[in-house]
Amino acid sequence: MSTMEMDPVFTGALREALKATVMDSPRVRRRWRWRTGTGVLLGVTLVAGGVAVASGLFSPPGAPVDTLLGSVISATRTGTASVDIGAPPATATDVSLALTCLTAGSFDFPDGSSMTCDATDLTRPSIYRTASEVVPLTAGVDSVTIQTSPDATWTLQVTYVNQVKTSWGVNANGQTYGVSNQQGTPDLIAVVVDQGKTQGYVEQRELNCASGGDVKSLSEAATWNETSKNRNITIPVYENDGVTIIGTFTVGSATGPNVRTVPLSSLSLGC
Amino acid sequence: MGSLTEESAAWAASLENDGNAFAVIFDLHRDRVYHHALRMTIDVHVAEDVVAATFFELWRRRKSVRVVDGSVLPWLLVTTTNISRNLTRGIRRYRALIASLPRATEMRSSEDLALETIEEIRLAAKVREAMGTLPPADAALIALTAFERYSPAQAAAALGITEGAARTRLHRARVRIAAALGNLEVDTNVTKETSR
Repeated sequence: MSTMEMDPVFTGALREALKATVMDSPRVRRRWRWRTGTGVLLGVTLVAGGVAVASGLFSPPGAPVDTLLGSVISATRTGTASVDIGAPPATATDVSLALTCLTAGSFDFPDGSSMTCDATDLTRPSIYRTASEVVPLTAGVDSVTIQTSPDATWTLQVTYVNQVKTSWGVNANGQTYGVSNQQGTPDLIAVVVDQGKTQGYVEQRELNCASGGDVKSLSEAATWNETSKNRNITIPVYENDGVTIIGTFTVGSATGPNVRTVPLSSLSLGC
Repeated sequence: MGSLTEESAAWAASLENDGNAFAVIFDLHRDRVYHHALRMTIDVHVAEDVVAATFFELWRRRKSVRVVDGSVLPWLLVTTTNISRNLTRGIRRYRALIASLPRATEMRSSEDLALETIEEIRLAAKVREAMGTLPPADAALIALTAFERYSPAQAAAALGITEGAARTRLHRARVRIAAALGNLEVDTNVTKETSR
C-alpha cells in the first residue's frame, strides 16, 4: 500500500458515511433568486410573498391571498438576532418576512429555509438579495429570530398577515392552472413576462423540457449545462385556456454575443 | 479528474441531498486533499482523519462554501490547512464517527512512510513548521498558491478577500516563510509560484 494513497478500506467506508450523511440531512432549500431573464415564474416566491402583496402583483388561482395587518416593522441587525413584532392582531394567521442581506453571509429563516449572499450579490439592487417568506404564527411567540453566519448584517421587514388559501382553476380542457402550492404543480403554471406587462401561463410539460427536466444522469446534466451557456429556449405563454398564445417565456439566463435564443418547438429534445 | 461542468452538476445535485453526487465530489478531490493533508501533518493516519473531517465540513458548511471557478477544491484546501493546523479542534466534532470507520489490517506506520519518502518527509516537516508561524489565512494563501498552483485571484476568492489584500498578505507570508525555511529547496519554489 503506497503512503501516497489513502487506505482503500478507510476510503470506501468514509465514502459511504458521507453519502449516508448527505441523504439523511434535513433538506436545505435552494438559494433564493429572483429570475433575471425576461419572465418571472410565479411559484413559491409569490406564494411566500410579503413583497408580492405589497406591490399588488397579479394573484393567480392557487396562490394564497395575504392581507397585511398593521404597519410593517423594519429592523437592521448584525449576526444572529431577534426582532420584536408585538402581539398579533386577532385575525392574523401568518407572519410575512422580507429579509435583505447587507453583507455577505448565510441567513436562516425561522422555518429552516435559508439565503446566502456573496460579494457579487452585494453589488446588485436590493431586490436581488431579498428573500420573502410567509410563516405560520407560533402561539406565544412575538419575535422573529434570524440565524446568520458571524457578523452578517441584514434588514428584516416584517408584518402580520391574514392568509386565505385559494384553489387552482380548471379550464374547458380539464387542465388545472395557477401557481405551485402544497397540492403540487398545476398543468398550466402562472408567469409574468414583458417586465410585468403580460400575465399568463406556461405548460408544465414544456417548461420542464426547456429547463432540462428530462436530464437523467450527471453526464447528461453536464452536457446540458455546457449547451445552456450559449442557448436560451423560449416557450409559449397562453391564456388560461391553454390554447391562445399571448407571449413567450424565456428559459435560461445565458448572455453574450454567441447566445442563441430558440423556440422549444425547433429543438428535438425528446420530451 | 472530472470536468468543471461535471463538478458543478455534482455540487448542485449534492445540495439537493443527492448522496451519490456528493460521493462524486469526494472521488474528484480526495487525492488532492489527502496529499495536502499529508504535507501538513506528515502522518498518514492523521492525514486520513483530516480528509474525513474536511469532507464532513464541506457538507456541514455547504450553504456558505465558496465555489471558485466552478470548483469547491480551493475551499477544501483552505479547510484542510485550517484543520491540519489545529487538529484537536478541527477533528473533535467528527472524532467518534471517524473512529468508527474501518481501516485495512495492514496498518501503515510512520516508519514505512519515512523509508519511502525520506526527503519529502524532511522537507514536509520543515514546511509544516514554517506554515505554523503564519496566521491561518496567510497559511491558507501559501497552500493554495505555492503548493496547489492557484492564482492569487482564485485564492482570494476562496478566502473571501480582495485580490489586492491577497497579494499584500502573500508578499508578507512569502517573506516570513522564506525566513523560516532558510535555504531549503522549497524556498525558491514558494517564491516562484507566488510571484506570478
